[in-house]
Amino acid sequence: MKLLVVEDEAKLADYLRKGLSEAGYTVEVALNGIDGLHLAMEGDHDLVLLDSMLPGIDGLSLLAALRRTKQTPVLMLTARSGVDDRVQGLQSGADDYLIKPFAFSELLARIQVLLRRAAPRSTGEQTTLRIGDLEVDLLRRRASRAGQRLDLTAKEFSLLTLLLRRQGEVVTRTELASQVWDMNFDSETNVVEVAVRRLRTKLDVPFEHHLLHTVRGMGYVLEERPQ
Amino acid sequence: MKMPSLALGERLSIWLAAQTFAGLGLVSMVVYLFAAADLDARQTESLQHKRELVEHVLAEAHSDRDLPTLLHKLDDFFLGHRDMVLTLLKPDGSSLYDNASRPGSTSRFKKIAFAYPYWESAGGALSARMALDTAADDQFLHRLAIALMSASMIGALLVSAGSFVLVRLGLRPVRSLVAQTKGLAAQNLHRQLDGSQQPRELQPLVQQFNALLDRLSRAYEQLEGFNADVAHELRTPLATLMTGIEVAMRQPGLPESTLDLLGSNLEELRRMAGIVNDMLFLSHASSGAAARREPVESLAALAQDVSDYHEAAIAEAGLQLRIKGDAAGEVDAPLLKRALSNLLGNATRYAKAGSVIQIDIAAAPQGNASLSVCNEGPAISSDHLPRLFDRFYRADPSRAQASVNHGLGLSIVDAIARMHGGEPFASSADGTTRIGFTLSTGPHNSRSG
Repeated sequence: MKLLVVEDEAKLADYLRKGLSEAGYTVEVALNGIDGLHLAMEGDHDLVLLDSMLPGIDGLSLLAALRRTKQTPVLMLTARSGVDDRVQGLQSGADDYLIKPFAFSELLARIQVLLRRAAPRSTGEQTTLRIGDLEVDLLRRRASRAGQRLDLTAKEFSLLTLLLRRQGEVVTRTELASQVWDMNFDSETNVVEVAVRRLRTKLDVPFEHHLLHTVRGMGYVLEERPQ
Repeated sequence: MKMPSLALGERLSIWLAAQTFAGLGLVSMVVYLFAAADLDARQTESLQHKRELVEHVLAEAHSDRDLPTLLHKLDDFFLGHRDMVLTLLKPDGSSLYDNASRPGSTSRFKKIAFAYPYWESAGGALSARMALDTAADDQFLHRLAIALMSASMIGALLVSAGSFVLVRLGLRPVRSLVAQTKGLAAQNLHRQLDGSQQPRELQPLVQQFNALLDRLSRAYEQLEGFNADVAHELRTPLATLMTGIEVAMRQPGLPESTLDLLGSNLEELRRMAGIVNDMLFLSHASSGAAARREPVESLAALAQDVSDYHEAAIAEAGLQLRIKGDAAGEVDAPLLKRALSNLLGNATRYAKAGSVIQIDIAAAPQGNASLSVCNEGPAISSDHLPRLFDRFYRADPSRAQASVNHGLGLSIVDAIARMHGGEPFASSADGTTRIGFTLSTGPHNSRSG
């Protein structure tokens, strides 16, 4: 997968290139709008990561110019959070947006969603998800570990499902709040931590191998780790 | 300055009453003295006149033969003048005529004495004493004094009452100014006082006040703009820092201690990012960003969503939650969720273990509603209550859990309430703290600033 990063902050662009390369993408970087537009028009990228404020041509104009000929998915990075900017960005043809400062793991997740949307997989939706001895039946909304039924609340089930679908990836608290509870704001409270802690007491505490791990400063990951 | 509590109206009316009383009293005194002097002169004149008459009668009597006729004439004469007394004494001291013992005569007299030079049989001059009874005149003067005194007092009272009413009427423009001033808040400093209905004396005050408002408003805007600029400028370096650290943490093979340090840094950066985002939100709100209203059928259902979000935290704190009441309307659901979430987080933090947190939703007339969260716990003193919604305000610094709470949560509630045309409120009594906000649930008058 080939990504184009258009970002005028050289350091940030560098970190993004590094991080995305390590995540397995081929990354090209442009440090201004003119280069960015040129590369986006000429190249064959699967996705463009576009800063909204750029020297040369600003992000929105670049997007408008690009959209005249190409339908490459665009993820906008914006430093503004005014509602109007958000609407403007989506109306001008961006497929998604992230407000700076963002969590890199969330950026990765958004990129994956956009890429998946662009190339839908032929495999149908799975009804049973597994990791280790954990099994989640999506249709009957049941979870069990080593054949033992887990007694989860509705929200705990959603939380587990989300982490399971993204197994091996770090999911941020902000993302969990948004996906599980539809709370789209950074909360001052530690409610997500408490919810994860309670899920963990049901999911992991009675068992020897722990699946749900906290990645300090980032979020949570569900994965099998060597003991 | 001795009586600072006395109102302008009272002070003026007391002063005017005293002045009026003094003025009227002076006039009354002059009138009284004039009347008294005049009466005295008349009495003297009247006595003089009677003396001439008596002398005339005496002159007609030439000998002792005429004495009965004289006495009779005198009796006749004084019959018509009951207020007069005449005593005629012969030179040897014996009485020739005396009507002092007549009934009806009183004790207050004005007297004159004169001698009648010639009386044949008396063998010398007659001495006469004539007195005029002045009781009637004295009574008149007495009544006049009372009347004048009462008139002065009543006049003073009337002036006092009148001036009180006039001052109240005259101060009406000032009251309207006060009402206008009350409507001013930090968010609408750009409003000006309307001085068009004000008297000329108050115009300079209104102008000065408006100029002051202008300066304040500019300063406030600059401050808000500064806040927004700072927050905005911090975003890019924060994004760079956070991305850099996260990318570094993804490198395989880092020692646990390094990962821990980086993670801890990332946590702090995330907190800073949270503060910056909240500050920007508040700046946007106070510079006029409006709520994006959409029809919401049940605020109770919305509150239930927020409660689900806090379910685990509430259960872990050993608390229960109840939602009471409902309302519908056009509101910005994500914003209301955010406000309610902040209130619930607050309530959970301070609620007494084992108690019940209650969300109250009340529909008010004219498309208004109120949302509030009520918890049992330590009371917030009344000095702190009005400042709870100030940015970064902490009622109790020792209890502030700085790691999870940076002190903007209630300011955001305040901003969201104002974006909905409402305002926040807080009360704390008898171990129950209630914090909430009002909002208009109609699409109209969404913002009053």
